[in-house]
Amino acid sequence: MTDLARKRFAQLGQQLQYDQLGAVRRQAEGWRNGLTGLTGLVGVVFVLKGRESVAGMPGAWRWTTALLLVLAFVLLLSGALGAVRAAHGPLGRQTWLSGDRLLAAVLDEVVRTQAALIRARRLSVAGLCAIVAAIAVSWLVPVDDPANSREGGPYVLVTTAGGVRCGELVMSDATAVTIKPAKGGEYRSIPIGTVRSVTPTRRC
Amino acid sequence: MPDHVPTEFREQEVTVDPEEPFTVARSEDGRWYTVTGLCPTCRAATVFRVAYGVLGPPKRLWRRDRSEPEPLTGCIPVYCACGYPHPERPPESPDSGCGAFWDVPVPPPVHGAAS
Repeated sequence: MTDLARKRFAQLGQQLQYDQLGAVRRQAEGWRNGLTGLTGLVGVVFVLKGRESVAGMPGAWRWTTALLLVLAFVLLLSGALGAVRAAHGPLGRQTWLSGDRLLAAVLDEVVRTQAALIRARRLSVAGLCAIVAAIAVSWLVPVDDPANSREGGPYVLVTTAGGVRCGELVMSDATAVTIKPAKGGEYRSIPIGTVRSVTPTRRC
Repeated sequence: MPDHVPTEFREQEVTVDPEEPFTVARSEDGRWYTVTGLCPTCRAATVFRVAYGVLGPPKRLWRRDRSEPEPLTGCIPVYCACGYPHPERPPESPDSGCGAFWDVPVPPPVHGAAS
């Protein structure tokens, strides 16, 4: 009994030998578009939901966030370039266009394209993870905000003829500047006539 | 070499005469097989090439030598691609032969050399 399906698949296999580079390129284009979309999606989330600035974060976490973002940029850039290379091929590569050389070149390029695509996918996923980690750090790490600090603030440096005093500004009127010393203790009222300057400061 | 017989085009599965076996040669880099022999139906010399393609199994993650695939086992379905005109062949047919097809067993790989 003749099974024509076997012959059709044999014919399809022969056709695919000629078209496989195009098939791999189309596959790479789809992956490139998908990776680009994912990257854009995470970027949008980062812009909408992330912190606008790393200012105010503790120094170590600020550097961690910056390093994660730089790492993400490098990974995503490499991934994007790899995906473009997989979808459109390398520039400047040439071969003899004889039948056997061309077949070998096509098979080589198919392998290289798939390797580039796999590498691009890994780099993009790693870059996305780095972005998400940076977002998480910016969300979770507490910000050093003196206005909301339980320890009070803002502090002021009150310069008088007798020296400099530091404390939390309690009140200031035409007669005196009243501060609460940062280390605790009684309110201290400094007559306005002796005050030379009042300077805000983050800490005493 | 026997003369070509202009048989009518017919897609049929045929058997290979044991007296006239096909040769199956693997390329030096192991990435394609070339099957050569006489078509059992129209007696023309047929060369059929099967390359390693894109729909293969996933590659091993850390395997360095990716250029040489695993040897092919089993049979290769081959169809006549003699290139001669055959009566009754539909013009839209992708065939370039008499329409016959058959199986050619792949010899087991020889260790240390391409089979």
